[in-house]
Amino acid sequence: MSKPLRIALTKGRLEKDTVSLFEKLGFDCSELTNKGRKLILQVPDANLEVVLAKAADVITYVDRGVCDMGVVGKDTIMEMKGKFFELVNLGFGKCRFALATKKDYNFYEGYEVKTIATKYPNVARAFFESKGMDVDIVKIEGSVELAPLLELSHGIVDIVETGSTLKENGLEVVEDIAPISARLIVNTVSLKLRQKEIETLVKLMEESIK
Amino acid sequence: MKYYDLITPEGTNDLLFEDCIARKNVESIINEIFIKRGYQEIITPGLEFFDVFNLKSRHFAQEDLYKMVDRKGRLLVLRPESTMPIARVVATRLKEASLPLRLYYNQCAYNISPLMTGRSDQIVQAGIELIGSDSLMADIEVIDSAIEVLSKCKVEDFSVEIGDIGLFKELVNKLDINDIQKENIRSLIEMKNYPALNDLLDSIGNDKIIYSLKKLPRLFGGNEVFEKAAKLFSDEKIDKILSKLQTVYNDISSLYPDYKITVDLGMVNKTDYYTGIIIKGYIRDYGEAVLSGGRYDKLISEFGYDVPATGFAINVDAVAKVISKTEKFSVKIPDVIVFSNKEFYIKAFDIAKKYREEGLVTEIALFDNIDDVREYAKEKQIQKIVLVNENVTEVN
Repeated sequence: MSKPLRIALTKGRLEKDTVSLFEKLGFDCSELTNKGRKLILQVPDANLEVVLAKAADVITYVDRGVCDMGVVGKDTIMEMKGKFFELVNLGFGKCRFALATKKDYNFYEGYEVKTIATKYPNVARAFFESKGMDVDIVKIEGSVELAPLLELSHGIVDIVETGSTLKENGLEVVEDIAPISARLIVNTVSLKLRQKEIETLVKLMEESIK
Repeated sequence: MKYYDLITPEGTNDLLFEDCIARKNVESIINEIFIKRGYQEIITPGLEFFDVFNLKSRHFAQEDLYKMVDRKGRLLVLRPESTMPIARVVATRLKEASLPLRLYYNQCAYNISPLMTGRSDQIVQAGIELIGSDSLMADIEVIDSAIEVLSKCKVEDFSVEIGDIGLFKELVNKLDINDIQKENIRSLIEMKNYPALNDLLDSIGNDKIIYSLKKLPRLFGGNEVFEKAAKLFSDEKIDKILSKLQTVYNDISSLYPDYKITVDLGMVNKTDYYTGIIIKGYIRDYGEAVLSGGRYDKLISEFGYDVPATGFAINVDAVAKVISKTEKFSVKIPDVIVFSNKEFYIKAFDIAKKYREEGLVTEIALFDNIDDVREYAKEKQIQKIVLVNENVTEVN
């Protein structure tokens, strides 16, 4: 058998969703469900080698070609960019990017340059650039919702799922920026050199999520 | 104040010994192929005016270029590639030269790559430009050269892929949409982002052209691609593009039955001065295309000389890196070391010169006594020690 196809999965929820997708396809996922502390795991009957990584690293590995494929959220793709093919919208891991502020605050009012706190400075920058709007961006690592409450920023750009965290902290969505879900990404050279194997897998995945 | 006197800038590195040999080896293989095909070398300056790289058909984003200003305050860049400078030379100093011109280069290109991705900002590129012919033969000559380069570099597994940018341009120009939408479609096709492409195209319409554009990025592989494409869209121009591409594909495949030659109709590169057949080369164990090129019939006219052209460039550093994984290059160990006392050193230089004329790599010992020479020779694995005084004797 040829060298296994290497696929990087974003650790955590996307990993679990992908494993259940694999199980649905009938793959032997025993190593994946009893992984212990191992970071590289085999799915022997599908000739797959699974690498577990943080979201941003999934992109790096696929971009540089050390992994042939990856499962990663659109949020990370939008923030990181990189060169790869984005073949399938896997449908799970659904949420959205949104601009939020304190409740009842009119964000677009006045001439003052607004300050935005976010974990995703590139996404925030691109969003306001598309509006032709200058903003100051502050990169925050933890709970972004704190920034407007502490009056560090006028608003935040962040991932919103149900909106309950926002609500509990007196914030509300002003505008949706982009929908997010998990994507199957593929290295540009791998797709060409291992076309048949990858296309077969992609077809299986596409059919099972329809 | 912090001094950066012990490290090299981000994206650059020193090449030592074996790594130099590996790169030179690739360079000499490639350059010999070009020379034997009648290509002549051209060296352009590392520094160019920014304007050379800021054309209508192709421009480089400011943030990707290394920039500085000259004495008069004009904007200069380190050349990000070699085709545009060569187009400049062709349109000026070679305007009267008889055609076709066959030019090759082997020089560095500088690009600011995304931070912390481990990519080099300075790479050596070798390439050819075949200027003055719009014939199919010229396209085939360029592809043929590209395949020869990849096969002679002895990379284990490579493939060459061809496409034609004209197909996408024909299709998208039939749609009543603005340039921004066209660019969005192009970039989604380039990224093979099937879901987003479908969503975008669904919002524009629902006819045969839309359907064809949706399928375009999926049309890659072997001969079967042409059958699938023929079923999708048909008009005079598109049929012509497809049949030309198929001819090239079949001709190249019959020239090289043992190599992997593929087609990708969804190859729609961004920096697009390409006007016709385009080509990419991939090798195993390198995560991006190492070779790319194609036909660019309108580029040189932007410098004031309307002449068709085609060519390709290959990333020499990438090929050397991949080859070094399997092939060991070793530095030359000196054959002889010549040792003398101070009073005889002129004679020692003379003796060393004679050895070198015989073809032996010969070092002059820079030590005061023979024991140090022995120790040094042992460490460097030099087999022969020659002592020069009144006599010339080989010692152990």
